[in-house]
Amino acid sequence: MAAPLLELSSVGKDYAKNDTKASRVRLVLDLLRGRGASNVFGAGKSTLLKIVAGVITPTRGTVAVAGRVGALLELGSGFHPEYSGLDNIDLAGALLGLSPGEIDAKRESIVAFADIGDHINDPIKHYSSGMVVRLGFAVATALTPDVLITDEVLAVGDESFQKKCIAWMEAYLSDGGTLLFCSHSMYHIQKLCRSALWVKDGRVEQYGAAADVCQAYLAYHEEKSAVSKRLTGIQDPRAAAAAGYYAIKLFEITPGGSIPERSALVATGEAYSPDGRPPVILIGIVRADGTPVYGVATDMDNVAPRKTSNDCYAFEIEFPSLPLLPGKYFIRMHVLDPEGVRMFDTLEKPLVVTGTAREFGLIRIEHRWRVADALHTTASRTTSVL
Amino acid sequence: MNHSLAPVPTAAVLQRNRALFANFFRRELFSRYLGSASGLAWAFLHPLALLAVYHFVFTTVFRAGPMDGKSFLLFVAVALWPWLAAQEALQRGTVSIAAHAGLIRKVAFPHEVVVYASIAATLVLQFVGYLAVLVVLALFGEPVHFEGLLLAVPLWIVMAVAVAGLTLALAALQVFIRDIEHILMPVLMILMYLTPILYPLSLVPEGMKPWVAANPFGYLVGRLRDALLDGRLNPTWGDAVAFVISISVFAAGRWIFLRLSPHFEDFV
Repeated sequence: MAAPLLELSSVGKDYAKNDTKASRVRLVLDLLRGRGASNVFGAGKSTLLKIVAGVITPTRGTVAVAGRVGALLELGSGFHPEYSGLDNIDLAGALLGLSPGEIDAKRESIVAFADIGDHINDPIKHYSSGMVVRLGFAVATALTPDVLITDEVLAVGDESFQKKCIAWMEAYLSDGGTLLFCSHSMYHIQKLCRSALWVKDGRVEQYGAAADVCQAYLAYHEEKSAVSKRLTGIQDPRAAAAAGYYAIKLFEITPGGSIPERSALVATGEAYSPDGRPPVILIGIVRADGTPVYGVATDMDNVAPRKTSNDCYAFEIEFPSLPLLPGKYFIRMHVLDPEGVRMFDTLEKPLVVTGTAREFGLIRIEHRWRVADALHTTASRTTSVL
Repeated sequence: MNHSLAPVPTAAVLQRNRALFANFFRRELFSRYLGSASGLAWAFLHPLALLAVYHFVFTTVFRAGPMDGKSFLLFVAVALWPWLAAQEALQRGTVSIAAHAGLIRKVAFPHEVVVYASIAATLVLQFVGYLAVLVVLALFGEPVHFEGLLLAVPLWIVMAVAVAGLTLALAALQVFIRDIEHILMPVLMILMYLTPILYPLSLVPEGMKPWVAANPFGYLVGRLRDALLDGRLNPTWGDAVAFVISISVFAAGRWIFLRLSPHFEDFV
């Protein structure tokens, strides 16, 4: 077996911070090996990329790179603002380790790739950020390194240039190149990368197949952005009911917690009615960040909750095959007045849908491809090599 | 590529990064000197003005006679110029790493190339100035032995190698100890007066002579005077020792630099 192209063992970096509270930030990465695209995101990623690029020296651990590394770390790094675009090509090429002959041979193709017209003769300081990225990426393409490190380059630049970059990256990958690609765009990650590394607070949170890591990352952030369970000011439902409010007494979902894709879900609950009339129950599904997915109320379907006592009404609803895509969601129960006009109380339960689906969005929509030939190359590229 | 500390010979570093060296060298030359008309003029006017002031102070006010049988002007010019060249190379080189902080934080490249380019730009320009002054002095009738350049050029190279070693060490330390840049100025000023530049070694009182003679730079300017004022070209064992010392200074300075350079990114 060939030696790994990139191998990091227990790499750590300490930063001495002035404030005593956060005295040390530590980055630990236990062994990252790869061939093919790998993606990094989260806090500590820039440090990690700089370590791989050789810009900074880790406080501990070892880095071994078996090949030429090209790095596009920051916007316009290695460019001199006073120099013209052409002069900066020479400088950046020299910094990337090209010989004068190589730079001469590649200058024309770099200019063509950057495609910024006569601006190539203007000082970089007059460039827009998009133009700087174009030039930077163009120089990096000329190097054709064994490992190309890019940090959020696709975040800037116009749509057409992004497409050009992605097309170049895909060609580079299919020619056997390795991409260490840093981004917060789950779309780009899943499109370009087969493995992903999630760095959180300077530590490896997860490393594995890009799709798995992206899902975990999204679920984490969706969960973080919504925490409370009862979403109204009601503290004691019985007291609230006595005071004239419709309030939730009980809300359960089964099976709770975590369910596989396309499985059945049953929600049950009970609500207090201050005047003995049946309230309208609304059941909603939202993604963990609050994006509504689906909502349905008893009065829409011309049903009413069942009376269980003088002031209590119960309901039960079944979703036989929940079409939610893997991710983190909340199931919400709302209580409205019998007219279905005013909402009184809301309670939510978290629900994690697990699975291996790589589709985007919230729910699976039935579909069928009319041109149907299995694509074997995709299958081989998405195989993770560890 | 391996980010290890395995020492790579200087020549190999420069060969591999010749495009980078050329780029830094040009940048140094153009942005610092040739970028502005006054910058270029200043590079030549500063030593000329100093020479004129010393001439006024020592020959007009103090009425110093000829030094070792040579006119004061020629005697001082031959030694003052290399000193100022070395001094400027040291000062500019010391802050060169900090001046490239933007690059060092974002791009991986051998940092020593920055220092070499800075020193080379200063010394090349100052050597051209040196030649110009010798020509001007000769035109004014001063007895310059131009064949002495056959020895003077190797002596400048010996000086450049030692200066490069010192600068590498200071540039690396400057990243961590910002005071070095400020301490350097007065220290160099004091050293200049302790070096037989404005006076010949022969005028130094016997008791202090060994101390002054021990100054390696003093040896260098003495040899430059031998070559350019007297036309004595035969190399001596002393020259070989000077060469060995300058190589050693370079090796030591580079060792310090390479030990510290992996940590520049944290501090620049």
